[in-house]
Amino acid sequence: MFAISLMNGLVMGVIYALAALGVSLVVGIMNVVNFAHGELYILAGYFSYLFASALGVNFVLAMVIAVGLVFFLGLLIEYLLIRPTYGNDMYSLILTFILSIVLQNAYLLIFGPYPNKPPLWVQGATDVFGLFLYGNQRLAALAAGAALIAVIFVIIKKTWFGRIIRAASQDREMAELNGVNTTRLNMLSFGLGCALAAAAGVILAPVFPVTPTAGVPVALTAFVVVVLGGMGSLWGCVVGGLTLGLVENFGAAFISSGYKNVFGFMILILVLLVRPSGLFGRAKI
Amino acid sequence: MPALLEVSHIDLYRGETQVLWDISLALDPGERVAILGSNGAGKSSFLAAVTAALTPVRGEIRFNGHCLVGNRPHEVTGLGIALVPEGRRVYKDMSVRENLEMGAFPKSARGRLKETLERVMGLFPILGQRKGQPAGTLSGGEQQMLAIGRALMSRPKLLLVDELSLGLAPLITKSIYRTLAELGTDITILLVEQNVEQALNFSRRAYILESGRMTRSGNSADLMQDADIRRAYLGM
Repeated sequence: MFAISLMNGLVMGVIYALAALGVSLVVGIMNVVNFAHGELYILAGYFSYLFASALGVNFVLAMVIAVGLVFFLGLLIEYLLIRPTYGNDMYSLILTFILSIVLQNAYLLIFGPYPNKPPLWVQGATDVFGLFLYGNQRLAALAAGAALIAVIFVIIKKTWFGRIIRAASQDREMAELNGVNTTRLNMLSFGLGCALAAAAGVILAPVFPVTPTAGVPVALTAFVVVVLGGMGSLWGCVVGGLTLGLVENFGAAFISSGYKNVFGFMILILVLLVRPSGLFGRAKI
Repeated sequence: MPALLEVSHIDLYRGETQVLWDISLALDPGERVAILGSNGAGKSSFLAAVTAALTPVRGEIRFNGHCLVGNRPHEVTGLGIALVPEGRRVYKDMSVRENLEMGAFPKSARGRLKETLERVMGLFPILGQRKGQPAGTLSGGEQQMLAIGRALMSRPKLLLVDELSLGLAPLITKSIYRTLAELGTDITILLVEQNVEQALNFSRRAYILESGRMTRSGNSADLMQDADIRRAYLGM
């Protein structure tokens, strides 16, 4: 029981971290909260289902296409909906909220209320340390999620793009004085934020099938993780995501699965009582 | 020789409030010029107009043959203007080295990053010693050196320095001015200062700004001897 909860917690934690990284990136750079984050996560799941199951494209290629399409959709959303609202955070909040409702209903019309599932990457199960059998697909999801997070951190730490992201999230005007085109940076980071939601979506969809509203709890959890880890802190997303994934699964296993979602909020409240700026947040940004 | 920076008759607003009236100024290549004035006189607003952070409603700003009005700040940086902002504004969570590298972001400077980095660390050896440290852990004077170093990393033709002495001990201010004086004449420097004595010592010419209007200008040495100015700004 303990070991299975640990594995489940890690898988969910990595996915939460990925989804939260996307939110955190956009909040840190643009000060925009994208309420349609969960719907983009689901959209990527639908895309990978559509390409792999319905059109018979290779599953890896289907995932890459799905993430790519959501990235471009993100660029488009920034250009059409977010860019005209700069200077008033409330408008972008309302617009992305409307977008999330529109997308949910569009999915309902197009795909119906039934769960859809892209094919598994791998079949069967593996004996983990001689303790229990664990689905290979979940292990693959864990590995893929962890690898993606590692790649993101290398990009943030080592490349020009990463340097600009860190600089702009600390002092936007100064980054602009250093020659950064912040309009283009906004567009790119919004697209990337959406692509991270999409990556989480395609990784998790074979395990948890997509439905029109399945994105809501994921987005909600991503927001909780961002606040838990500290606004704008990327490390906070990883630690916060793993913490939340583990706490939820241990709580469900040892206390009651009925309260699964309560545990996350309890942790959030406890952390915020002691550290109002989150685990890795700066006191003031 | 044509002027490097030529500002003619600009009127500038911050929101609804007019902050500058009919300001004109010209800088020749290699000059050291200061803009003096008390708090709220419009000095920083003037720099905001030159860096295109604010757009004047009237008047023209020309730099090295380009018209700056209508450009965006990142484009102005690409043309060869660098600002050392008031309050230094270093990226506190990034290392000293990364801060300097950010300064070399414009395409024209990126290719020669290594060479410029060595030159800047030669000017401010302390930055070399602390290159791995987060910039937020530096002292005020070191942060000011870092802010200047970061501006120099873009290999600017014109360096704008806003309130260099703010919050620094007099000895440190003096040593930073000495380093700026070593820069040579391929970099033109425009200073904005409340510390009138330091600024007049450093510059060859100066303009005086009062409540958004240019009231006087002249050679720094003459202004230093001027009775009105000594009374108003130097407390003598």
